[in-house]
Amino acid sequence: MNPVAESIKEQIKGVRTAFEEALASASQTEALEEARVRFTGKKGELTSLLRSLGKLSSEERPAVGQELNALRDEMEQKLEARKVQLRDAENERLEAEERIDVTLPPRGRPAGAFHPVFQTLHELVNIMQGLGYSVALGPEKEEEHYNFDCLNMPSWHPARDMQDTFYFPGEGQGGRSLLRTHTSPVQVRSMLKYGAPLRIVCPGKTYRRDNDPTHSPMFHQMEGLMIDKDVSFSVLKGTISEMTSAFFGRPLKNRFRASYFPFTEPSMELDIECVECSGRNPHCRVCKGTGWLEVGGMGMVHPAVIRAGGIDPDVYNGFAFGFGLDRMAMLKYGISDLRLFFDGNVSYFLSGRDA
Amino acid sequence: MFVSWELLKDFIELDISPEEAAERLTLSGTEVESMTRPEGKLKGVVVARIETLEKHPTDGHLFVAHLNSGGGRSHLCVTSARNMKQGDLVFYAGAGSVLPDGTELGMRDFAGVESAGMMLSAAELGLPDVDSPDGLLILPSDAPVGTEATTLYHIGDTLLDVSITPNRGDLLSVVGVARELKGLFPDSTLTLPYWLRPLEQEKAWTEDFGAISLPDKGCLCYRLGLATGAKMGPSPLTARVDLCHLGMRPLVNAVDVTNYVMLTLGQPLHAFDLNTLPAREITVRAAHEGEVMTTLDGKERTLTPQDMLITSGGEAIALAGVMGGQQTGINDDTHTVVVESACFSPVRVGHTSRRLGISSEAAFRFSRTVDPTLSRTALSASLTLMREWCGAEVDYRPLAAENEYPAPQPVTLTKKKLSTYLSWDNMDEATKIIEGFGIRHTSGNGDQRTFLPPTWRPDIAIEEDLIEEVGRFRGYNDAPSRLPGEPAHRADIGAPTRLAAFVRQVLIARGYVEVMTYSFLPEDFPSWLRLAKDDLRAHPLTLANPISRDQTAMRTTLVPGLLMSLKATLASGWRGPVRAFEQGRTFLRESIDSSAHVEIDRVAGLVFNGSDPRTPWKGQEEDFYSVKADVIALIEERGFRPVFVPGHEPFAHAGQTAEVRIALDGGESQRIGWLARLKPALEQEMDVSGPVCLFELDLAPLEEAKRPALHPVSSFPASLRDISLLVANDRGQDAVAADIAAVVREAAQAEGTGTNGEILESLRLFDVYEGKGIPEGFRSMAYSLSYRLPDRTLKDEEVEAIHGRVRESLSQRGYSIR
Repeated sequence: MNPVAESIKEQIKGVRTAFEEALASASQTEALEEARVRFTGKKGELTSLLRSLGKLSSEERPAVGQELNALRDEMEQKLEARKVQLRDAENERLEAEERIDVTLPPRGRPAGAFHPVFQTLHELVNIMQGLGYSVALGPEKEEEHYNFDCLNMPSWHPARDMQDTFYFPGEGQGGRSLLRTHTSPVQVRSMLKYGAPLRIVCPGKTYRRDNDPTHSPMFHQMEGLMIDKDVSFSVLKGTISEMTSAFFGRPLKNRFRASYFPFTEPSMELDIECVECSGRNPHCRVCKGTGWLEVGGMGMVHPAVIRAGGIDPDVYNGFAFGFGLDRMAMLKYGISDLRLFFDGNVSYFLSGRDA
Repeated sequence: MFVSWELLKDFIELDISPEEAAERLTLSGTEVESMTRPEGKLKGVVVARIETLEKHPTDGHLFVAHLNSGGGRSHLCVTSARNMKQGDLVFYAGAGSVLPDGTELGMRDFAGVESAGMMLSAAELGLPDVDSPDGLLILPSDAPVGTEATTLYHIGDTLLDVSITPNRGDLLSVVGVARELKGLFPDSTLTLPYWLRPLEQEKAWTEDFGAISLPDKGCLCYRLGLATGAKMGPSPLTARVDLCHLGMRPLVNAVDVTNYVMLTLGQPLHAFDLNTLPAREITVRAAHEGEVMTTLDGKERTLTPQDMLITSGGEAIALAGVMGGQQTGINDDTHTVVVESACFSPVRVGHTSRRLGISSEAAFRFSRTVDPTLSRTALSASLTLMREWCGAEVDYRPLAAENEYPAPQPVTLTKKKLSTYLSWDNMDEATKIIEGFGIRHTSGNGDQRTFLPPTWRPDIAIEEDLIEEVGRFRGYNDAPSRLPGEPAHRADIGAPTRLAAFVRQVLIARGYVEVMTYSFLPEDFPSWLRLAKDDLRAHPLTLANPISRDQTAMRTTLVPGLLMSLKATLASGWRGPVRAFEQGRTFLRESIDSSAHVEIDRVAGLVFNGSDPRTPWKGQEEDFYSVKADVIALIEERGFRPVFVPGHEPFAHAGQTAEVRIALDGGESQRIGWLARLKPALEQEMDVSGPVCLFELDLAPLEEAKRPALHPVSSFPASLRDISLLVANDRGQDAVAADIAAVVREAAQAEGTGTNGEILESLRLFDVYEGKGIPEGFRSMAYSLSYRLPDRTLKDEEVEAIHGRVRESLSQRGYSIR
């Protein structure tokens, strides 16, 4: 063998050994970089060996060249692997250093909170939309005409005693103006506006002159109205049970009690199975041990009301129902004092969070 | 209304328990709210005779009685009462017996005399109104010695508290409830108490009496019965107990008769002392406009022709159907009693009682319709009782006058409607059910049948009423249940409700708590907010009959509600940040002196750092700018571009108020609300260390969301340039950023670049600094500008040209570039 080739082979061996040593001793990225420059850099030891290939004969050159190239690839791979190893070690150290207390409170605003009554309103509206009902809204300051007269409650009618009313001074064409005592006037306004057939719900604020733990002068109702041909009580029943079950998240037993409203005939009130005890606790504070909760009034729309809505009651009939949204919210969220809903105390809705 | 189970048994033979009756009544529309046993825990109290009565040996205030409670049992009993005598019968509660309130009796020493239990007064029996408050309850001489009190005089009655719906005036009586039970329990039998049998009324009046005239047609009929030689005194004990149970105070027997008949039969009656009548004639007429009368309760009432008066000799003696006058009542010396039994139009009585705010037992019943044919029966019954209870002579022919009144009209039931409504159509069974309620089947045997309601059921007027009788008898719970078919229209939640749902979603996610405050506010809220006289918001609609002064004026802005919400939150001890929002209606007059109004849906928010805002983190403080981000989020998420310009609100910080506008097409913009810090004076009045930041926006302009304009991002690189400006503070703080932005955008217009549209992709303020290195009276505002084209790479010289123009324009505008 040619002595030049011999020498190169020797040098290769030496470079390899030196590289292995340098690699092993490089415990910092800087030392590793130095090693890279020393061996594979432009003026590095391996590079100069590659340059010296020219001194070899054309027979020897391929084999040595191949060896050198293999060594360069190997070195580069090892350097890269070592680099990743060092970076990982460094990161590991840093991560240990940068350890934080994940139990510290968060920065930035925490989420707010919904009001149970509005939440109830929107949930019910969505459920009813699924059953084909559109939303209709109406004024909160109403006329006697829509609030009472159109609903079969003329001014002398004793049913007006059931609804103690806030009035405004003065009188207009539609009688005295008042704060609507129920969402029912929207029924008549909608019938006049859209005609039959009709499926609407009318959620909103209502007002009565009452103030105690179970009555607020301002409260919320959602009225439902369906007008069509040959509407049966069975459909009212199906609709109501669909609605209450969807709202409370499980099928609930319903109980219909005959009742009276001037604007429906026949009329009934709906009791639902106690959401707290399902009738199993004789001392239940929610249902008072009766097993039933009164949640709404309903019935087949009185022909006089359909007529007041500009629709022929000989052709169309229908049903209407009204639910107290505050009551539904109280039941769903286990709230016992209605007045807490309206005093605006934010901390009430953030119950359980640190002040 | 209370219904006595004992009295019911006078009218119906029923083989069921009160509990069963209550359940059935409740499900069929007459809700029994509760059932009570008024005697409570009463046990072991019996009738006893006072055999001997002596003064206590040492204490002069006490008596010692030997009692015989039958079966050879005798007891020694001490009392401080003085109204008894030897031989009297009393209720005796011996040792081991229990009083209604649960008190257990035992042996007790009275100054050396051992008393076994006690003799009872009416109050100790739980019936304070039955007898005078001091002294023992002395029983009738036929009281059976040794018998338990709970089995005597209806003391052990069961009372049903029923809530009668306004359409069922007929149920405001024992007989009415009995008839209802007859309908609900077809196997029961209606009966009549002895005092309802017709009276011999043949004699002419011994007293002269002129005519009864009824010029007002609102008086349907009017009858007078005469009782002479009546002795005023207490009514029989059972009757007194009944009256007490039903919630009326027993008075003198002649008056008790009228109340008793009203409670049992439903006919309001009035007893006069004949000798106090101003004249021997009665006229029922409409009141004159402005006529004044003093009612029994001592109040002066100003009347209108809607009201009816009962007059005698031209003098008003009663407000017909509502309340008596002051002079003609029964007194202890009365011996000639005239009983009035009349019927009045429900419409007229309803109007009068509602307008005057009088809800007497009579008005309550008349306004719910009293059977006009009842007056005759009730008069006769009351006279029978006058004879029984007052020892009066009563067999005189009543005087009567009548107007026309509506007779019951036939109502037809069709199989088709019955089956549509109830999904059930057995006409024979339906007929049986309807007849059970006293509604006569008069004709038709097929799919169409006609019925005639009785005089006491004027609520049965249309076919649906008959269907309801069937429905409530059968109950609604076994009816089939199904969902409706496809609706004719696609359901639509509607823009306002959709927007409301959106707004709450955004704000809750941004850390706000959703609150709801009353729509009515204290009357003085406009002055609290310092609203000017010419501000529409200073002229709220006010209620004519508010509950309280604090809930009188309809809100014209949501601000006071949020401020009260802040107050309530702080008062409850919450110390952290407060972020609240409310969505709701505000009520504004169309103009300052108009009664016409508009209702505007708004959203308002309030943010406050908290009374103790410390946190472990920096940069958490809320201020105008942090709240501004929320307002922008709301507006931008609806697809609009927000525009803020310096503004003014009387309740806001003069230097920190912005008008919030949304940009419209064509360079215009529309005001939708404001964003501000609260006026420091108001913060101080509320005792909060500010800032309190608020915003209020009209919702209608945001209802129809605009489609967001989305542009593809250029795939060519952007050229970034920073620019730092020195801004003199004496330029004012107002709208400098908006001005700079306008100048920059104007100067960076793409003209001359050979491209369409803007070359300036974005302009971002990244620093505002004042202090070291910046001359006194100046601040530095540093911007990063990004220039970019959609279709090619910008050349350096192009960027330099544009940026040079921007710098030049800013300089010309007076901003020096650092």
